[in-house]
Amino acid sequence: MTAPRMTLAPLLFAPLAFFAAFFLAPMAVVALASLTTDEGGLTFAHYARILLDQYHWDVLWVTFRIALATTALCLLIGFPLAWYLVRIVRWRSWRRACVILIVVPLFTSNIVRSFGWMVLLGRTGLVNQGLMGMGLTERPIRFLGTETGILIGMVYILMPFVVLSVGNALAKIDTALEDASADLGVGPARTFWFVTLPLCLPGAVSGAIMVFALAVSAYVTPALLSGGQITVFSMLIFQQYSSVFDFHYGGALSVTLLVLTLVLVTLAGRIGERGRRAA
Amino acid sequence: MIARLLIRIIALAAMAYLVLPLVVIIGASLTETSYLAFPPQGLTLKWFGVLFDDPSYVSAFITSTLLALAATGVAVLLAVPASLALARYVFAGRAAAASLLMSPLVLPYVVLGAALLQFGTDFGLARSFEALLVGHVVIVMPFVLRSVLPLLTPEQRALEEASMDLGGTPLATFFLVVLPQIRGGIVSGALLAFISSWINVELSIFNTTSALNTIPVKMFNYVQYTIDPTIAAVSAITIVAAALVIILLDLLIGLDMLSERQQP
Repeated sequence: MTAPRMTLAPLLFAPLAFFAAFFLAPMAVVALASLTTDEGGLTFAHYARILLDQYHWDVLWVTFRIALATTALCLLIGFPLAWYLVRIVRWRSWRRACVILIVVPLFTSNIVRSFGWMVLLGRTGLVNQGLMGMGLTERPIRFLGTETGILIGMVYILMPFVVLSVGNALAKIDTALEDASADLGVGPARTFWFVTLPLCLPGAVSGAIMVFALAVSAYVTPALLSGGQITVFSMLIFQQYSSVFDFHYGGALSVTLLVLTLVLVTLAGRIGERGRRAA
Repeated sequence: MIARLLIRIIALAAMAYLVLPLVVIIGASLTETSYLAFPPQGLTLKWFGVLFDDPSYVSAFITSTLLALAATGVAVLLAVPASLALARYVFAGRAAAASLLMSPLVLPYVVLGAALLQFGTDFGLARSFEALLVGHVVIVMPFVLRSVLPLLTPEQRALEEASMDLGGTPLATFFLVVLPQIRGGIVSGALLAFISSWINVELSIFNTTSALNTIPVKMFNYVQYTIDPTIAAVSAITIVAAALVIILLDLLIGLDMLSERQQP
């Protein structure tokens, strides 16, 4: 590069200093607290408390189960929606309107979106009214405070990510490949399975892992839709920092969630990169 | 063609699923009843009036707006030089610096919020506007970086060098040549940054108090105990604001990224 090197330092100094002071340092404080006792001695007791206790494994299992189900449902619903928008819709304005409608929820607070479902899923909410009106159930179904309720809210909040990443992948596929497959006498189903699906798989997988990582660390939606009946991992962290004030144990919980998320995101990055290289 | 029909049905059902809660909230905010009702019974804007008469909502609204504006401003001031450094120079640790600055995008905000509270407690910074601000700057900066970096292309670079060759000072070159070229990226990045700050709960919740509150955190604390039309009214305002920003973004950069055959 020909640009004078002497300007590099001033350009990068402020942003890096800011991140060191207000991002790395706080994280280091948490990591340090998670490994020390009140007296300042080194200990792994806080991690042992998490890893050796059945309750934590139960909470982790609930968190993972909800995240897995959320990811699966996001793919099952998001994939057809992306396909519809890219391949079936012919009217540009309608597609544009749909994309805007898919993005609007992303720009609205989790609170607002979860609140919408609190209203819809209540005993006398629209969903129960509809189900009873259609004769599908005699008595109102309890959604709030159940995993089903949390799931409905989580899928709602995270599905746009899948639609956008799958949609982007689909839009980039050269349809000549599919035409070639059809010209060679391969049926549409087999063409989809052997040509189209592999081409958009990286987009789907990285979208799915993104959703999974966000679902594992979600706080607001489960907190509002669980009605205090179900505990997920991020709620444990919040409890420690807002009411129990045990920064050591809270720190260990934070680091656990952080490591989990980072592993997932790195995985997503790897897969996304492989997809880009293959494309 | 059965598959095609099935996809159509699933897609339209999914669109309804995505729109329904927003419609319900906006509808419920217009009800005349003092409890939440959808479909609304009668039409009134009185709940919006109630909102603006409540000083705690007004002050939360002001805090949220100031916070989002300040965080976006600081983030732009930090992100533009950082983008220039990352796009222009090859240096040891470049990849590490880039991933450090982008990493808040994928971190659990709960963890960062907790960290800032604990860190702030040690330094007497906890539960203050400054504590909120530094956290928000950290989480919104990646949005600005991500929309400015792709604009710093070799072609853009060529014009910059031309300006320098013709005797332009670095500062004049930056303001007269570079800035106009990346203005679009700065504006769309700033809009994304503003919105992400404005809607944040998970990070803010650790450093807010009943006197220093943001709109989403106030709503979060409220909704856990009471559901009434005022909360629907606040929600409706944020939905309409979000829709306006997105339409603005669409006009600015075009959101129709799903059009077929847009290969480079």
